[in-house]
Amino acid sequence: MSLVSAAFLAFVAAALLLYYVLPKSIRLWVVLAASLAFAGFLGFYTLIFVLVSAVLCYVGGLLAGPSRKTAVRNVFTVITVVINLALLCAVKYYNVIGLASERLNLLFGATDKTNTFFLYAVPVGMSFYVLQTTGYILDCRWEKIAPEKNFFKVLLFSCYFPQLMSGPMNTYSALTEEFEKAKSVKFSLERISDGAVRVAWGFFKKLVIAERAAMPVNMIFADHATFTGWYVPLGVFFFAIQLYSDFSGCMDVVIGVSHMFGIELPENFNCPFFSKTVKEYWRRWHITLGAWLRDYLMYPILKSAPLIKLGDWSKAKLGKKRGKKVPTYVALLILWFAVGYWHGGLWNYVIGSGILHFIYIVLGMIFEPVSKKIRPKIKADKLYFRIFQSLRTFVLMLTGFVFFRSASIRDGVDMYAAIFRKGGAALNWANFTASGMNLANLIVLIVAVLVVLLVDAYKYRPSEDEPARSLIAALRSKGVVLLWAAFMLLLLATLIFGMYGLGYDSGSFIYARI
Amino acid sequence: MTREEIYGKLNEVFQDVFDDEDITVNDATVAADVEGWDSLEHINLIVAVERCFGIKFTMGETTGLKNVGEMVDKIIAHLG
Repeated sequence: MSLVSAAFLAFVAAALLLYYVLPKSIRLWVVLAASLAFAGFLGFYTLIFVLVSAVLCYVGGLLAGPSRKTAVRNVFTVITVVINLALLCAVKYYNVIGLASERLNLLFGATDKTNTFFLYAVPVGMSFYVLQTTGYILDCRWEKIAPEKNFFKVLLFSCYFPQLMSGPMNTYSALTEEFEKAKSVKFSLERISDGAVRVAWGFFKKLVIAERAAMPVNMIFADHATFTGWYVPLGVFFFAIQLYSDFSGCMDVVIGVSHMFGIELPENFNCPFFSKTVKEYWRRWHITLGAWLRDYLMYPILKSAPLIKLGDWSKAKLGKKRGKKVPTYVALLILWFAVGYWHGGLWNYVIGSGILHFIYIVLGMIFEPVSKKIRPKIKADKLYFRIFQSLRTFVLMLTGFVFFRSASIRDGVDMYAAIFRKGGAALNWANFTASGMNLANLIVLIVAVLVVLLVDAYKYRPSEDEPARSLIAALRSKGVVLLWAAFMLLLLATLIFGMYGLGYDSGSFIYARI
Repeated sequence: MTREEIYGKLNEVFQDVFDDEDITVNDATVAADVEGWDSLEHINLIVAVERCFGIKFTMGETTGLKNVGEMVDKIIAHLG
């Protein structure tokens, strides 16, 4: 079941009805039943894997908890975390395992490489909930939380349906706090209205913008032997629009639906394309993944004995200032490799969503002292420099998107080569519109992107630590009529200009396939 | 060790880690108040504090501290 479908809306409406009509004491059972039903709709293997993951999470938490000796807890933590992550790698990234995977497929009776057990067994959204459940086990080991004795609470945490497919990732303490609050939430039209506008905004971004921007992207990336030269940056530019609208639109639907149940989920985006640096960009884009990797991967690495020893050694050799950066660079390299691998397990993801960003961030850190000295001289506080910073960051992100969108690392390199290749299709309107992007589509896309830009400009706050301003709250403060007008406008715009129906695969979000 | 004595040592650690001799911290000090105290420098600070007081913060404490006041509370708890 797709998050942008009439079936999903009907499912949410039915779940909401039961949630608010039935006694409050069984509310969370309704959410659990809805979540398991949703996992079942996503596929048999998804449901099975969700259950297996929840059992592992529950048992792992109990075994890693404080009632045992430290050595025993460490062993059980390592075993359960490794099983959890190994399942993710084995099932999700079967194509990376290569020969071993082919042999496994043959064991399951597959007759050729394309029609394999593992291809169809890939559970939806597992990249998200496996990290979330792994975080739970580690939280129990580190005594951030007490292991939960009630299995059904852990199960609900593992499979809460709005965030099951694409996040946002959450911690056990934060999500269970929301579940506890939800027990006493009263039905309010205000809550439903706010959630409905957020969901409509997500549908608008996905169906009006992302699906439209995908047309030139698909054409250019599929045939970069023909579409060379300026077509390549053009294709990547449209892909940035597509990816942001797709993933942030998905999050709008997820957060909006959850809000209607009175369960608040963390924001995953905070105006990323206004970022001054790559480092800031990653604190505004896919925020919950960054927070997870910081808390559960980077901090433990940096606090480990070998890295502390490395820091002592490098400080002695290179001096305090430069030396203390060395373990940070090592931890960042591991972190960014993990980010890239998590996105797809292939080298184009490892480079495009990982190592390239590691290089940009480290270069930014190395040149920070020089940059600090230069800034007052070039009047860096002026608007023109601020715009330059955002554009520079955007262009750096595009360099990674080339690999992210390509089918392989070789394909990504060839996309770069295509920029300089002669003899491709001429850059003209007739060739560009071969993708289906006619003048009417282009005008709709430009207007819709401008609307998103204006909304982001309203929400933007210079500090990435501050939460973005809420336009929905601002509209509501002016009267509920304005909020419903916004809802109707979004609904109409999506119905008229949205790309759905036969011939479109709008049901699938890019990050739901990760 | 009294809270004042802990703050005396803690100020030295902050000044050393963030390379600024003017830094003085108090219960309400948060990361945003100290230039350079970001998620990367946080661990350098934690390790320096651990060494200074001969203690070991848990990962939960490392990621869960809300301000310097909480850090001092944890130091006192570890020192027993």
